[in-house]
Amino acid sequence: MVKEVIRRTASDNVYLHKDFHGALSAGIEYLERHFGQEAVRQYLRQFAISYYAPLIEAVRERGLVALYDHFAEVYKEEGAEARMNLTEDELFIELDACPAVAHMRQHGYPVARLFYETAKTVNEALCESTPFAAELLDYDRQTGRSIQHFYRRPL
Amino acid sequence: MISCTEFIPAYSELFKFLEQRGGRAAVLDFWNYLSDNFLGNLKSAVEANGIRGCRIYWNHTLNEEAADFTMELDEEAGEFRIDMHHCPSMGRLLELTHIEPYHDYCGHCDVIYRRILEPLGYDYIADMSHCHEAKCSLLVKKKPGKTE
Repeated sequence: MVKEVIRRTASDNVYLHKDFHGALSAGIEYLERHFGQEAVRQYLRQFAISYYAPLIEAVRERGLVALYDHFAEVYKEEGAEARMNLTEDELFIELDACPAVAHMRQHGYPVARLFYETAKTVNEALCESTPFAAELLDYDRQTGRSIQHFYRRPL
Repeated sequence: MISCTEFIPAYSELFKFLEQRGGRAAVLDFWNYLSDNFLGNLKSAVEANGIRGCRIYWNHTLNEEAADFTMELDEEAGEFRIDMHHCPSMGRLLELTHIEPYHDYCGHCDVIYRRILEPLGYDYIADMSHCHEAKCSLLVKKKPGKTE
């Protein structure tokens, strides 16, 4: 029998492994079960503040357009159609379905009860040290359909 | 939303968070949980196809992860091998200048896959000595006496 050999380099493929959404969901589920729901929020806040530090700095410097650019890129690479409406003081993002939730549902990965915190808590953390705030106006746990709202804090 | 392309740093930060909360034991317990609850596709692929199941599983994941690797399957010898020339996960973590990777990020690979493959009758031999260069290798080998 012949030995089968596969050789690939990074440039042979596009980096897009959507099963990672299922692994993140498993992490959130584990955290909630073992450390409680507040730990899920604390972890996501801690992650967002550290990993998105360059983006947060961009929001301070450029305003909501930095978030617009970031999320436009995210939804484009995930193949999602997001309706985004930007003004100087507000950004609305409407999704008919979250691409992460859609992938997990399609492939049978459990969707953690608190998976929506990847939008709510992360968005709030992105705005925490900026002149803006975030709120999740609508979220459907089955599909991840959502309305995300970023706005300038009242003085 | 956290994009799947941002997952690796999210996981690295999760390992740090777990270690802060529950020490190394919490990290290991999570890796075991992940293996038991997330790697059913590897387990079912190997149960259905023998050692070829490793090729089916990793050929899917490593291509989607745009990894730089050489994969070899020798069914007659009962061996499957991956030489990771540049791991996309550790590679990404090393590229980030504003956050430090979890100190044993690569350790999860050893735990989660071993936990699936050893009970199915395979030795899992990983060389993680070059993880800091985003390089590693693994050999899955049919244990003596195991039939497929």
